[in-house]
Amino acid sequence: MQRPVEYGRQGWLRVSALVVLGFLYVPILTMVVFSFNENPVIGLPLRGPTLDWYRAFIDNEDVLESIVNGAMVAAGCVCLGVGFGLPAAIALDRHEFPGKAFFRRVVLLPIVLPGVITGVALLNFLVLVSIPLSLWTIVLGVGTALICITVTEVFARLQQLGRSQEEAAENLGATPAEVFFRVTLPNISTALWGSALITYAIAFDELAVTYLLTGRDNTLPMALWSMLRREATPEINAIATTVFAASAVVLVAGLWLSRGRGEQVQS
Amino acid sequence: MKTTAAARAPGTDLSSAGTDGRALARRRLVLWLAPPMLWFTAFMLVPYAIMFFYSLGSMDYVDFVPGFSPANYVKALTAEPYPDVLLKSTVNGLLTALLSSVVAFPLAMWMAFGLASPRRRALVSILVVLPWWASYLVKVYAWKTILGAEGVLNTALMAIGLVDEPLSVLLYNRFAVVLTLTYIFTPFAVLSIYAQLERIPRSLVEAARNLGATDGEIFRRIILPISVPGVLAGAVITFSLGFGDFVTPSLVGGPDDLMITNLVVNLLGVSMDRPLGSAIGVVVIAFSVLLLMAANAAERRTQVRF
Repeated sequence: MQRPVEYGRQGWLRVSALVVLGFLYVPILTMVVFSFNENPVIGLPLRGPTLDWYRAFIDNEDVLESIVNGAMVAAGCVCLGVGFGLPAAIALDRHEFPGKAFFRRVVLLPIVLPGVITGVALLNFLVLVSIPLSLWTIVLGVGTALICITVTEVFARLQQLGRSQEEAAENLGATPAEVFFRVTLPNISTALWGSALITYAIAFDELAVTYLLTGRDNTLPMALWSMLRREATPEINAIATTVFAASAVVLVAGLWLSRGRGEQVQS
Repeated sequence: MKTTAAARAPGTDLSSAGTDGRALARRRLVLWLAPPMLWFTAFMLVPYAIMFFYSLGSMDYVDFVPGFSPANYVKALTAEPYPDVLLKSTVNGLLTALLSSVVAFPLAMWMAFGLASPRRRALVSILVVLPWWASYLVKVYAWKTILGAEGVLNTALMAIGLVDEPLSVLLYNRFAVVLTLTYIFTPFAVLSIYAQLERIPRSLVEAARNLGATDGEIFRRIILPISVPGVLAGAVITFSLGFGDFVTPSLVGGPDDLMITNLVVNLLGVSMDRPLGSAIGVVVIAFSVLLLMAANAAERRTQVRF
């Protein structure tokens, strides 16, 4: 008797999965291809290839500055995420306290709340207490909304770990600080790195909150947004392709480096 | 899961604990809880309260007049175009959630069951999240390049002789908005469904097979029911992102496709109507809280333990 194909290995499943995966790359491919196109509007016909748009990008100081700004803003958001998300996750996992359900809901609300609404609420607040808009206010708005990422990631890891290791360390005479730095922190480090990576990526590409809270200095999405609204040339594609390639390298390298440690935690 | 009454003030009923251990635990709790609690109060709850305060007032030309009137809420929920746009945004969110789940499912299923080695699963996971690292704005704009009158798709269709003149129904309408939103947010749905499917023990599928279940039956009676929490978790995120997006409608949508967040931005900027914008904001916050609670309850009810 012929054994049927193992479940999940049916041809139709593989084909449809690959079609979906391809769908995810169609606009990426479009972005890359048109970054080399000579045509000054983003579109057909294809002419070239040319590196002119990359040259324009390298000479565009506003955009370069916005990339640096964005990188700093994203780093600030990661600091907020770790600084407040880690303690919040520990409090939610390790302790019972009155108002816990409410606290959890407040922390997780930005997952479902549109960024524009977060931005409007904070803008009202900042205007009222007359804090001028700047890159710092972007960090405040975007970073606060993204704390939920660190909380969910670290909370999930803490739940998965349980408390036995910490209790064992305590029984063997470790101080709370030793337990935290030598048991808890190493165990959740991959979750922390992971959430820092996600927070960084989202913050770097954030537009809705940024749009409302930005002052004179722009981040990259703001610079791209105004370029798209004025006249869109393939320079936009060149910028996005370069940033994408750089982030892809960082992402893959980061995952590669954290891989070994991640497997230890699982076992 | 143990939940405590939200109304009680933090720290009131723990003081009765007498033993050293409890006191120590309390001190540790305060150490962890106080910084995030203060932060979220100052930069989320206070701004929301201010928004609520604004929503009850009115505008006298360019000056804000505090008040205590539900007029802005009445306007937000009854005066056109607001309820209409609110509904349209909700439908767009739902379509985004539905389509991303449908598109994501086969990929998530293949990752969970079709790929045996952890190495391959990791590789495909990376391939799924990678597009999400490309600039969101440029990805949206890429759809404009693909769907436009002289776009990639129309040119291809005309080249193979399928159509004689460019299709104009592809861009600047709801189809383009929902397609783009679905595209952008599908990776979230894939990861969330995959995380759930991955938990299904292979032995369960094998047992069903040995007992004579067909592939269709395995899908309908094992995979699909167990996948529900993952689908829901992904759908909540894709719905929210689709509902609240303001870039996609303004780039690939038509004039009628503006969503609620576009209106809020306009109310604050162009029309200087902060009270009405705030009222819509409060309505959306309330809506989001309800969604979060419903999602939580649904997750708890549908989750399976192995």
